[in-house]
Amino acid sequence: MFRLKTLAGVLALALILPLAAVPAAAVDTGNANFTRYVAIGDSLTAGFMSGGLGRTAQLNSYPFLIYRQATGLTTGFEQPLVSDPGIPAVLELKSLAPLTIGPKAGSGQPQNLTLPRPYNNLAVPGADVHDVVATVTDNGGLHDLILRKQGTQLQQALALQPTFVSLWIGNNDVLGAALAGRVIEGVTITPVAQFEADYKAVVNAVTASGAKMAIANIPEVTGIPYVVTIPFVVVNPATNQPVIVNGNVVPLIGPNGLLGPGDRVLLTARAELAQGKGIPVALGGSGQPLSDGVVLSAAEIATITARIAAYNAIIRSEATRVGAAFVDMNATFREVATNGLNVGGITFTENFLTGGVFSYDGVHPTAFGYAYVANLFLDEINDQFDGEIPLVNLHPFMFGPSSTTSPSTAAVEADGGILTHSAVRNLFWALDVKTKKPKKGHK
Amino acid sequence: MRRRGGFIGNALAAAAITAIGVLSAVPVHAAGFSIFEQGAKAMGMAGAFTAQADDPSLLFHNAGGLAFVSERQVSTGFTWITSTKAELDGANPFPGEGYHAEQEKLSEFPPHLYWVQPISERLKFGLGINAPFGLTTSWEDPNQFAGRFLSTKAALRAFDINPTIGWQVTDSFGVGIGAVARISDVELNRNIGTINPFTQRVVDIGKLNLESDFGTAYGFNVGILHKVNNSFSWGLSYRSKIDLDYEGDARLTQISTGNAQLDAALRAQLPFERDLPVETNIEFPDTASLGLAFALTQNLLLETDFNWTGWSTFDAVPIEFTGGATNSLPDAEIPEQWDDANNYRLGLRWTASPSTQWRFGYVFDESPQPEESVSPLLPDADRNGITVGYGHTGPGMGYDIALMYLDFEERTRAKSFPGEGAFFGNYNTQAVLLAFTLNW
Repeated sequence: MFRLKTLAGVLALALILPLAAVPAAAVDTGNANFTRYVAIGDSLTAGFMSGGLGRTAQLNSYPFLIYRQATGLTTGFEQPLVSDPGIPAVLELKSLAPLTIGPKAGSGQPQNLTLPRPYNNLAVPGADVHDVVATVTDNGGLHDLILRKQGTQLQQALALQPTFVSLWIGNNDVLGAALAGRVIEGVTITPVAQFEADYKAVVNAVTASGAKMAIANIPEVTGIPYVVTIPFVVVNPATNQPVIVNGNVVPLIGPNGLLGPGDRVLLTARAELAQGKGIPVALGGSGQPLSDGVVLSAAEIATITARIAAYNAIIRSEATRVGAAFVDMNATFREVATNGLNVGGITFTENFLTGGVFSYDGVHPTAFGYAYVANLFLDEINDQFDGEIPLVNLHPFMFGPSSTTSPSTAAVEADGGILTHSAVRNLFWALDVKTKKPKKGHK
Repeated sequence: MRRRGGFIGNALAAAAITAIGVLSAVPVHAAGFSIFEQGAKAMGMAGAFTAQADDPSLLFHNAGGLAFVSERQVSTGFTWITSTKAELDGANPFPGEGYHAEQEKLSEFPPHLYWVQPISERLKFGLGINAPFGLTTSWEDPNQFAGRFLSTKAALRAFDINPTIGWQVTDSFGVGIGAVARISDVELNRNIGTINPFTQRVVDIGKLNLESDFGTAYGFNVGILHKVNNSFSWGLSYRSKIDLDYEGDARLTQISTGNAQLDAALRAQLPFERDLPVETNIEFPDTASLGLAFALTQNLLLETDFNWTGWSTFDAVPIEFTGGATNSLPDAEIPEQWDDANNYRLGLRWTASPSTQWRFGYVFDESPQPEESVSPLLPDADRNGITVGYGHTGPGMGYDIALMYLDFEERTRAKSFPGEGAFFGNYNTQAVLLAFTLNW
């Protein structure tokens, strides 16, 4: 099972391993081998949480949890750790009333930059599938922090001679459109043919290396709190109930006229709403429309949903083709949105702040969410490779010490948004969200 | 019940919606808990008594035995049920490897009182009062118990009043028929939790206590006893199912989350500290017993019984809040999906002298509960029981005493009904029962 060819190699490995790290009991991983496990992906794989990449969340990233469960070890799986509060600084809930979420004070510093080999967790927040095969540097962005200009994610993954690779990529091929409120073919949303070519290139290269794989598909990005939290109608801020005029709710004014039930108002719209935008003059608003960037129209949602379906068809067929464990994230997140996830009598939902699945950025999972994702992977890995890797114990993720400190009592950055301006700016930077067509072509 | 996109730009509503969403999972269930130990004589033979039915507990075990009653008899007593072990060892993903919890030591005393009386040479009358169903599951340290959002304490009591007529058709063949009035109440306690938006961890926000008033419903029972000859008899007994409606009140008591903003938001949204009218329903199963008794020698009698219980009536429990807009929580229906189940009983009776008997028995009691519904509310399991009993009949008065050791096979919960959450682990339970019955 081990790739070490000689007794000398085995001895060398034995000498390197500190005695304390020897696992108490061997884990039955079936015919999968996690000796050199590498994770390829984006922010979801990096352990990005609450708008930042920081140590606490990275040590709860699903790849780290998979490695820990499969090997019984907490050393040997290297990540591009960043000291808390992370880069960018993670968000915290500053106040419930008024509802304000902003970055924690301070900023994190890279802690593992000198590792003389590629990281096991190579996932780069903001990466799309093309980045995995093509991007080495992004001029001071998170690619540079994680890839250190030493090759693409794929190149570095292969350089580690992986025994196992998890691949969850493609989210950013549509997510940018949802976050920016704009569907721009080739900019915020990747054409299917290009996606397919890049995706197959990744899968083929990993398969050729001999590594076994676990592959996850793309969840419905239009179901995240960032998109579904604010209703499309005028709400009375005093009662939190929709304003009723002549027996009817009053739709907000969008960039193309009155919004309908199929349109979505993004979390970023809160600042504009606070200024009266989108609200008719008769109801105390400015009568000005909400800007295009804070509204996702029904047509845009339909485009995104269809595109995800097309990507997911490719992902599923690739997973089947190479005998990978396949994790249906799309189905799981749909279940979260429709029925919630029940654990021990607590129902976790897609609700912002109180759902327990999505962190303060409204996009990325909480520590619990990531642990749950790890278990989805482990279930499918065990199924596919006939192993009995124990699932992650969710108890500490539900009741343990919180991953965020209690809210600061410092003055709240009162700019009328739920996510403050700096929170949104940081998030878009970290995820490389394009908000408009660039002057020269992207990629 | 959960509203999509119903978030109003403010976390307060979301907090409340989540909390209410959790409430929909209020579990209630009543079962696995038939109590077959309704007289010390029968219990000494592990309940293998359908083909004997020769003491006043025949009113429970086989009304056919009433036909053969030749003189007025009254007996009364109780069964002391105590758990010697009732624990849970958790499994991943929740509550996790290494998690251990124990139930409070059970100590219940279901009573029994029987009166049988000839009316004429062929016609006999009997009146039984007993508690053929009951349940108490109460976890230690309820506010720390990992299953507290499922159940911290569940209790059910059910008393039957059972007037019966017996008719001795021939010298060897008797039938009996009875009416059953069942009076029952139920109590359910659990904590309510939500996600603390400040910590993103689970936080307790309230205790929900649901207590019903006594409800009453009616059923019937019939029995046949055929004493074929001196060395063989058989009996058949049937008790109908009983569909019982409960009314009562639920009460939600707030627990501070430690955050004043969150507490205030929850207080504004949830009906704390009020009586919330609630209705529920339990369909108690029907049971059928067939017993065959063989006299091995003049002093030694062996009986084998087969019991069937129609637990599949217990497929779901509805919880309906009837308090209107202000005094209500969302209705719920709890899936149970129990199966019919069988018991196998073997009893041996040794008549040591005209006034003393020793009795021995073994029972295998199959659990009706599917793995998916094994929970802190009621972790049932297949059971093996062994019994020993002793009876003394004196001039005018006698007594019976019986002891049972009941071992529950380890019960593993590792899967859930679709949409129901994980609460996985192994339950281990042992109980000891001591019954005492006084006869005169």
